[in-house]
Amino acid sequence: MYQQKQFFKKTRGGKILKVHREHYLRDDIVCGSLACTTCAHGDSTVLSSEAAQYLLIDTNVALHQMDLLENAAIADVIVPEVVLSEVQARNKAIHGRLRLLVADKSRRFFVFSNEHHKDTFVKTEKGEIVNDRNDRAIRRATTWYQSHLAGKTPDVLLLTNDADNARRARDEGAAAQTVYAYVQSRTDKPELLDFVARTGDTGGEAAGPSAEGDAGPQAKRRMLYAEHKGMAELTAGLQKGLFHQGKLRVNRFNCFEAYVGSQSVGKEILIQGREDLNRAVDGDVVAVELLPPEQWKGPEGGIFREHDEEEEGVAENAEEGAGLAPEIAEDAPGAALENLDIGKEGGRVPTGRVVGIIKRNWRNYAGSLEPMKGPGGSGAMAHPLFVSVDRRVPKIRIQTRQLANLADKRIIVAIDKWDRTSRYPEGHYIKTLGDIGDRATESELLLMENDINTRPFSQAVLNCLPPLPWSVSDADVAKPWRADLRNLRVCSVDPIGCRDIDDALHCTALPNGNFEIGVHIADVTNFVHPETPLDLEAADRGTSVYLVERRIDMLPKPLTEDICSLRADVDRLAFSVIWEMTPSADIVKSHYTKSIIRSSAALSYPEAQARMDDPHMSDPLTEDLRNLNRLAKIMRQRRTERGALTLASPEVKFEIDTETHNPLDVGMYQIREANQMIEEYMLLANVSVAEKILKHFPSCSLLRRHPVPTPQMFEPLLRTAAAVGIELDVGSSKALADSLDRAQGSDPYFNKLIRILATRCMTQAVYFCSGELSPPEYHHYGLASPLYTHFTSPIRRYADVVVHRLLAAALNLTPLPERTRDKKSMHDLSDGLNYRHRNAQMAGRASVELHTLIFFKDRAVDAEARIVKVRSNGFIVFVPKYGIEGPVYLTKKPDKGAGPDPNDDFVVDEEHQTITSKDKRQTYKVLDTVTVHIEVQEPQPHRPKLILTLASDSKEQDGFA
Amino acid sequence: MLQPEGPAPSLDEAAAKLAEAQAILQSSTASLPLVCLGDAIDLGADAEGGVMKGHGTMMAGEAQLQATVCGLVERVNKLVSVRALKGRYTAQVGDVVVGRVTEVAQKRWKMDVNGKQDAALLLASVNLPGGVQRRRTNVDELNMRELYQENDLISAEVQQINQGDGAVALHTRSAKYGKLQGGQLVTVAPYLIKRLKQHFVALAAPLDVGIILGCNGYVWIGSKDLVDAGGRDEDEGMEAAGPSGQVDLQLRERMCRVANAVRALAALGLPVHPPAIVEVCNLSGLLRVEIKDMLGPEFLAQVAYREADRRQAEGDAQPMDH
Amino acid sequence: MEYVSPEGLRLDGRRPKEVRQLKCELAVLHRADGSAYLEMGNTKVLATVYGPHEVSQRSQSLHDRALVHCEYSMATFSTGERRRRPKGDRRSVELSLVIRQSMEAAILTHLLPRTQIDIYVQVLQADGGTRAACINAATLALADAGVPMRDLVASCAAGYLNGTPLLDLNYVEDSAGGPDLTVALLPKAEKVTLLQMDSKLPLDTFEAVLGLAMDGCKAIAAHMRQALLEHTRKQAVVRGPVRL
Repeated sequence: MYQQKQFFKKTRGGKILKVHREHYLRDDIVCGSLACTTCAHGDSTVLSSEAAQYLLIDTNVALHQMDLLENAAIADVIVPEVVLSEVQARNKAIHGRLRLLVADKSRRFFVFSNEHHKDTFVKTEKGEIVNDRNDRAIRRATTWYQSHLAGKTPDVLLLTNDADNARRARDEGAAAQTVYAYVQSRTDKPELLDFVARTGDTGGEAAGPSAEGDAGPQAKRRMLYAEHKGMAELTAGLQKGLFHQGKLRVNRFNCFEAYVGSQSVGKEILIQGREDLNRAVDGDVVAVELLPPEQWKGPEGGIFREHDEEEEGVAENAEEGAGLAPEIAEDAPGAALENLDIGKEGGRVPTGRVVGIIKRNWRNYAGSLEPMKGPGGSGAMAHPLFVSVDRRVPKIRIQTRQLANLADKRIIVAIDKWDRTSRYPEGHYIKTLGDIGDRATESELLLMENDINTRPFSQAVLNCLPPLPWSVSDADVAKPWRADLRNLRVCSVDPIGCRDIDDALHCTALPNGNFEIGVHIADVTNFVHPETPLDLEAADRGTSVYLVERRIDMLPKPLTEDICSLRADVDRLAFSVIWEMTPSADIVKSHYTKSIIRSSAALSYPEAQARMDDPHMSDPLTEDLRNLNRLAKIMRQRRTERGALTLASPEVKFEIDTETHNPLDVGMYQIREANQMIEEYMLLANVSVAEKILKHFPSCSLLRRHPVPTPQMFEPLLRTAAAVGIELDVGSSKALADSLDRAQGSDPYFNKLIRILATRCMTQAVYFCSGELSPPEYHHYGLASPLYTHFTSPIRRYADVVVHRLLAAALNLTPLPERTRDKKSMHDLSDGLNYRHRNAQMAGRASVELHTLIFFKDRAVDAEARIVKVRSNGFIVFVPKYGIEGPVYLTKKPDKGAGPDPNDDFVVDEEHQTITSKDKRQTYKVLDTVTVHIEVQEPQPHRPKLILTLASDSKEQDGFA
Repeated sequence: MLQPEGPAPSLDEAAAKLAEAQAILQSSTASLPLVCLGDAIDLGADAEGGVMKGHGTMMAGEAQLQATVCGLVERVNKLVSVRALKGRYTAQVGDVVVGRVTEVAQKRWKMDVNGKQDAALLLASVNLPGGVQRRRTNVDELNMRELYQENDLISAEVQQINQGDGAVALHTRSAKYGKLQGGQLVTVAPYLIKRLKQHFVALAAPLDVGIILGCNGYVWIGSKDLVDAGGRDEDEGMEAAGPSGQVDLQLRERMCRVANAVRALAALGLPVHPPAIVEVCNLSGLLRVEIKDMLGPEFLAQVAYREADRRQAEGDAQPMDH
Repeated sequence: MEYVSPEGLRLDGRRPKEVRQLKCELAVLHRADGSAYLEMGNTKVLATVYGPHEVSQRSQSLHDRALVHCEYSMATFSTGERRRRPKGDRRSVELSLVIRQSMEAAILTHLLPRTQIDIYVQVLQADGGTRAACINAATLALADAGVPMRDLVASCAAGYLNGTPLLDLNYVEDSAGGPDLTVALLPKAEKVTLLQMDSKLPLDTFEAVLGLAMDGCKAIAAHMRQALLEHTRKQAVVRGPVRL
């Protein structure tokens, strides 16, 4: 069955070891073609017998032309194993995409295990380098296919961009073409040309697209950037401490200012300017060389910096418009840099320049084309610049034949390369999302930018659903461990219009004066079994995403809205946490069980609130609610005493037109007592469950923690508070909570504003696996709870699903899935969930931002705003009513070349956070109330922006001046 | 004490030739009743008559015999046994053995006879100097070392075997048994030694040496007097040495040639018996192979070819001699 | 890391349920009563058996059965890094014990009272699955020595990586950190004489892995049986038509 081949390798750090591995060559490897009569046909036999030809790709084609390969017009492709493994070694992401293509049977990509086939394995010859050997292996695979399929219709074409390789292949009798030539020959699909990536190694491909429209011969071109140093030099430099390694993070507001967090320096290194950035893109891991200290700079004037004027005369579109107010620290742009000790040594920070790139982080970027001067004739090749919506990304030069079509579209583009001679990176078009400004398109875009999977659920996933219509079966009732709680008076309270109801409550007065309180959570794990396609999909999605006008579900709709949703007056399966509480809200005992419940009412928050408030209502359900509320208040009180923070976020609520999905009105989200009541029980359930699962699975419980913010993180808050004469104690969460309570201003909103600012200092709470940290680190700062997890929303959060499984295992109901037992996979899972969770929040905010923009498009309003930050040429205001935050400029944009207008000069007092005009007529202080005018402007076509200006009646004279 | 050595890794060609010759020897397709350990033994048609389990077998379930060693199945009436082709010497009463004294114990000598345990030679089973039957006295016991001491080689006969633990008792109550001196010992695998009528063999001239083929695989090569006399002087023992303790050179060379012939046979896995030894010696003389080259692959190959030819001539179907 | 490709091939080109190439040679050392050289892929092991012979330390002698003594060692050159390996370290003591116990389960020791059997196993090259290879080699050497045994002891390792049970892990797969289950089996009776695993594994997965390992043992046993039969045949044929 097999033969043996042994070979030697010398590898691994420091010592040279002789590695001796077996390599079996087989005779049972199939060619995967349906046309073949000798090989066994199986599931993986995908290559069609009707195809004109099979394409066999080499490594560079796979690495660089992935977008082309992903196009549906490309099918019947043979991927030799050697290509796959080379791709894996060089680019994980591309490898993943290639694997997806192979997995998609309809695309007819076949992996040919040439390295283990007895006839296609090639041995490295003496003196031969690996690349040559691999190329030879690919050619051998091609010729093998040719002889294997000889006399049958499809022949095999080797796609390679290496001219030398192609020539050798032809010498060996195999057909070979460059990608470009092949795509050109595909006259049936002319649009494929757009997808051809422009790569450096096109070799002899003179006819190829590398000749740019606006570029002269290579030799004449000016070198714009310093050369990147080679890997060996970088490694040596890093070891010697000459260079510093770190991930490049570009300022969201200025794409020529970036920071590299370097461990070797201990501080963040500032990198300024196009030349010093040296073709590095946000997220790249780079090597940085520090400049001499006398060349160190400070970050430029905060957030208002105008970009360098481009030589082409096209202004960078970087002036900041207003956006949605950030919620927590990590959302805030440039938050990290504000923690630096700016102000000392003249605001200078270590400054450096990029000398080499260790790992590229290129991805696909969504955005639009910059309007081109001159007519983009249809069909002619044009090279427009692409501007990403992510402002941290530089413009990208692409080539297209369909300029006219793409001009007003949101498109997706990938970077292919960035030469020293080229100001912009070069890329290629991938796909069109839709028209710019179109609500659907922009929503799509923001989902994509946040890496949210909006694809419909696959058939494999849907096959995991129970047959519909579903109802509780006798078998479910008969299970001894499932308690029948249908006799209890259970109700749910949720936001208006909520259809995925995953929690319900009951409260029964016991004869001994105590109360029995139950929290019933949808029993999602009864339907989502571990390791099924449904489970894997849900784990990958991680959470449902709530946009203003739509919801992207984590689980398929039948589960989300029907089977799991604890709707009124139907039997539903639940996972219940039941406590017995004294009237003073002390828990006497707690109990966990799977159950069957029948909700008697699905209330909304306003309904519940109305019932509780209405003195005429005294039906049992209302009484239950009142009991619940009374106990909740006691618990809340206790929690606050322990030091839980009452934080605030500038949440807004849109009223959406049901027809057009356009926003009709926007306003602050109202928080009622009912909301707080439900929250309290959810918190209690989560904490109880966290204790229970941690007791049983101390090393693999999924918990949620909220790290204690560092003193530096509070600095902006403290500075602001100090400026208005308020002292905050951030020593502990308890101290902070108390001092926040004391911080009362003249108006009722003042306290909330302080709380909003305090919230921004916090870090994000994160999921983690209990085995990875020591118990003191489990602490949840915001809730002041030593333990916390998520248990109460399994329909929309995958973490809760995992916790349900943990709890079920703790109760000995079901065995713990293997993946949950493994620390490593739990670590990956929690990382993934954190990422998804964060993205979902970002997408939600972006959606609100988008709708705000649409809302203000046809109306300009004046609104009251509060100054939250003072800057050299203006200040940043927050508009509570709409949740908007944005800059207000006091100085005019300086004309090019002209000096600053002396009348416009303002002086900033950092300590008191005030900005005063030279003539002392105008003074603005942080937290002051001003009236701003909000309107949408379009400084460039298709680029609407929310602009805030000071309304004419300007500043209100209130007590803080 | 030399063991037969494997073919020295000298000439590749010779080694290849040897391998080829061995392959010819091994190529016989004669069907042998072989079993591997763990295999069920096919009892054939007469199983219903009931079988008795012999050596190398055990009962596996009802009426199912299973081999516990690899080897040949033998049947004597109802007794079924499997004889391993390799293994330690299993004594039978009456076997002539050559052994070495490992220990002088109370009233007995402990002897290494290549068995699973050391054999015992009781003081009572030894002819005392003087040759007369008399009671063993304490003095005799104290003087045991004067008779045989540690590391002495002795030829003896198996007197009895303990049914319980398989302990072997030897005797030297014949003039031909006793201490061996002035010769050399070659040890081969016991299964290579046939049981013969006569284990004391005098090889005729020109070899002119005497050999004792111990059933336990220990082969003694010494002077011809050893076997001729049919009895030995009590005092001198059977010695090839002259009064000076020297063995003359020609005799030594003849002994070495015979010894190497035995080693050559053993190296090839061929049975060691007097005609075969003589044949190998003759072959070496014929080919003018020096004594020191007799264990080289070239000569071994010749021996193997010769044996193969011989077998061919005799035909494989020769009935087994017993 | 991907240890099984979606095409169903492992890193070395085997499929999950295949053992490595097995090669055995018997009676490689002439001075020993029995010896065997065994290769499982790149794992190469030499086993030597002396005895049964007189017990060397009389006080250890057992009146009703044989004393089995086993010594495991690893050659200095057996791994990529040349290292002098002290005798009697924890690992080799443990392995000696493991081999001895699984062999004692097969040897009919009660037939050999007051005797001693020495088994020496040396790893010449290690590439995962040394435990199993040692046990297999020891079995062959014992069989060669003509020591009576209940059955052959066949051993094979199996692991669980990438959600797939894998048979006969090599070094790379072994060091992946997944569970590694070594089983020694009396194939005829399907009796397990050794079962070792250090990691935790869910019961249902464990059963799948165990089943696979047992299948591997049976395949190895069949191979060893063939080798033994062939060896015996050669011996018998060469010795000629002579009955002792």
